[in-house]
Amino acid sequence: MFHFISKRLKHSLVLLFLASLVCFTLVVSAPGNVAVLIAELRGAVATPGYVEQVAEEIGLNKPLLMRYVDWLGDAVRGNFGISYRTGQDVSADLAARMSVTGILIAGGAVIAILLSLALGFLGALWPYRVPDRVSRGLALLGASTPTFFVGALMIYGFSVHFQLLPSFGFNGPQSWILPWLTVSVLPAAVLSRVVRVGLEETMASPFVLTAKSKGLGRTAILFRDALPNITPIFINALGTQVGLMTATAIIVEPLFAWQGLGDYFLAGVRFRDFMVVQACLLIFLTFFILVNLIADLAVLLTDPRIRRQWS
Amino acid sequence: MSVKRRTFLQGTAGAIGLAMAQGALSKIVYAQGAAGTLRVAIAKPAGNLDPQSHYAIWAIQDLMFEPLVKYGKGGQIEPCLATDWKIEDGGKTLHLTLREGVKFQDGTKFDAAACKWNLERWMGIDQFSWMNCSKHFQSLEVVDDYHITVHFKEPVLALMQELSYTRPTRFLSPKSVDADGKFKEPVGTGPWVQISADDTQSVFEHYDGYWGDKPTYERLEAKVIPDARSRVAALRAGEIDLVGGFWIAPLTPEEGKQLEAAGFNVVVDPGNVTLVMAFNPDRAEPLKDPQVRKAVSIGIDRPAISKVLYHGYAKPAGNMFSAALPYAGKQFDAPVRDAAAASALLEKAGWTGSPIRSKDGKPLTLELVVSPDAVPGSRVIAEVIQSEMKEIGIDLVIRSVDHASKHTDMLEQKYDLGFFLTYGAPYDPFGSLVALCLSTFKNDVEGKLVTDPVNLDPLINAATAATGDQIQPTIQKVYDWLRDNDAIAPLVYVPSIWAHSKRVQGFTSPVTEYDMPYENIVLAE
Repeated sequence: MFHFISKRLKHSLVLLFLASLVCFTLVVSAPGNVAVLIAELRGAVATPGYVEQVAEEIGLNKPLLMRYVDWLGDAVRGNFGISYRTGQDVSADLAARMSVTGILIAGGAVIAILLSLALGFLGALWPYRVPDRVSRGLALLGASTPTFFVGALMIYGFSVHFQLLPSFGFNGPQSWILPWLTVSVLPAAVLSRVVRVGLEETMASPFVLTAKSKGLGRTAILFRDALPNITPIFINALGTQVGLMTATAIIVEPLFAWQGLGDYFLAGVRFRDFMVVQACLLIFLTFFILVNLIADLAVLLTDPRIRRQWS
Repeated sequence: MSVKRRTFLQGTAGAIGLAMAQGALSKIVYAQGAAGTLRVAIAKPAGNLDPQSHYAIWAIQDLMFEPLVKYGKGGQIEPCLATDWKIEDGGKTLHLTLREGVKFQDGTKFDAAACKWNLERWMGIDQFSWMNCSKHFQSLEVVDDYHITVHFKEPVLALMQELSYTRPTRFLSPKSVDADGKFKEPVGTGPWVQISADDTQSVFEHYDGYWGDKPTYERLEAKVIPDARSRVAALRAGEIDLVGGFWIAPLTPEEGKQLEAAGFNVVVDPGNVTLVMAFNPDRAEPLKDPQVRKAVSIGIDRPAISKVLYHGYAKPAGNMFSAALPYAGKQFDAPVRDAAAASALLEKAGWTGSPIRSKDGKPLTLELVVSPDAVPGSRVIAEVIQSEMKEIGIDLVIRSVDHASKHTDMLEQKYDLGFFLTYGAPYDPFGSLVALCLSTFKNDVEGKLVTDPVNLDPLINAATAATGDQIQPTIQKVYDWLRDNDAIAPLVYVPSIWAHSKRVQGFTSPVTEYDMPYENIVLAE
């Protein structure tokens, strides 16, 4: 077990380093001079001399490698610098916004788990009958509908038409429901198919035949015997889907006017705010790697076969 | 402890139901709490409100900070913190009489000393030299508690107009800075006091000691909603009362139509900003020929763009500035699309062949750079123009860039054709003419709409040096030159679109796109 964790941590660190390098390259190779934008913000009209002064001040004139090393050195110490756009401390902004994105992803993940299990079991309980077809259709619809459209439909239905829930803002549980539902639709659709297919495969196993011959009903076998068997693949898929929710947050947060990391990242990209973009990307990647590491550990705990492999 | 599956599912369903019920209940409470509160959408957090910085939303600064004079309808200069003014010495001396009995929101008296302290924060400082009154500033003397005299090295063009700007000219309490003179908190003399501000909203309440007429409602909440569709939905859901304004929370014409259809009040002002197409002959050889420029200009169907893309809200433009601005010049009708005449002009210029014309083996290909971030809806306008150009044998390539790239590309003239927006009131006409058309003025932000050091610069310099009755005829010569040479192609006057709920009554569009239109509103509770 220890060997497994240490190996995964090493891989994660290498992955993080490579990812930060790729992010840096992407950000610095984007066209446009951020020094002009900053100079304009500070004084309406930016003279060439002032633009040059700004470029010097924020280190744009340094060689690329130096810029990367400087940034990495500070980032490792938890200092993500000052936002070009707002002039505020990026670390403080990240700390303030992390809970918003955390709530979005946590709530979305819980709803995705519940919905996917409900849809998956619905199909498995009545295979190839109406409930199965409905669950399959819903999964297809959920997986193929763009998130911004799901969000817009939610807002139109629950906020504009029925006026049941707020259309924007981060003001307590009632304002969390629509963003949670929006962010959970895609992962729920994907996971429901993982559950349904996993259950179907398990139900074709010889031990199920034995259980049936002992007189156990389909429902009992599904919950007692098949469910533990699909848990490892479900956890694995869940890890990936929860990791990908950070990308969905970039769409969902501005839609519901949530000031989270997704919204922060988007504003940073629009302004070429290198400090913000880099910091957000690093957090997204760290989150993705961590979630998948946790998922692997959870699989290790739930699947004795894999545990034996590493012991 | 073990939980039965059925119990768990029932519990979950109950929790979701309760949360939704709470949501509905909170909604009612929220609606009741909104009495006496105007809720306005803003597209981004208000930002650092320091009047001498350029981070904040203009309209939010407008709530708290006041200028010496206000820019009224049609460019009329109206008293505000100055009750009287006199310009002498050929425009080089300004005598100001300050309003008595005015106090900043922290109780500090507004007098000549406070006025001097404020003016010295930006006048004569290089960073603000884009304003003539700062560039030519010489000295300032306090005559008595309520009289001040400002001396300039040269006559200042549109001096009173400049003093009506939102920044850096508005007045901050001298006590609202730290020991180093750095901005600490937003304290002005205006009718609204900021109660709180974060990334989600800025909240304002009446300033009881305000010298002028107070708004009829007590509270104003500026809600941050970055997504345009969400702003429309929030208005329809009754969560905000007012949305619109180019720099506040822009509404597209399509959204305006949707809201009109849904029964909301949509207020459209013809606007004083013009969408203009720029030609760049320095990069595109064919555009050196005025016949090609004219062919492009008359090849564009402006009424169709106005009717279809702006849903009839915009007016086709035949001039650089709309008649809503002072010194806008003689107004011409927008050119009518004439594909046959455009084709004939191109033939005459030597561009022949089909489907794409060519000359000396080179195809007539032009690149149009658009930035939907800078000019909302410009991508669709570009696509319409692209198909119209194809009909007359011009291959128009559209390159869509973001905000940051647009700044760099326009500055470095990496475009054949490009879209520009004039600045509008209170800056125009001189603001756009000098910043966008005078070759010797380095704006270093937007690039240049058109320049000609030999022919155009002397005309602009004459117009900016003119005084009194001479301004109109000299500035007309600039407009005539632009028109006679087809140097630019004005497309439409961009409308100012606002929408509000039935709760908002008496709304009128702001005079400039930089003001918050709170003044005439009465809330029907």
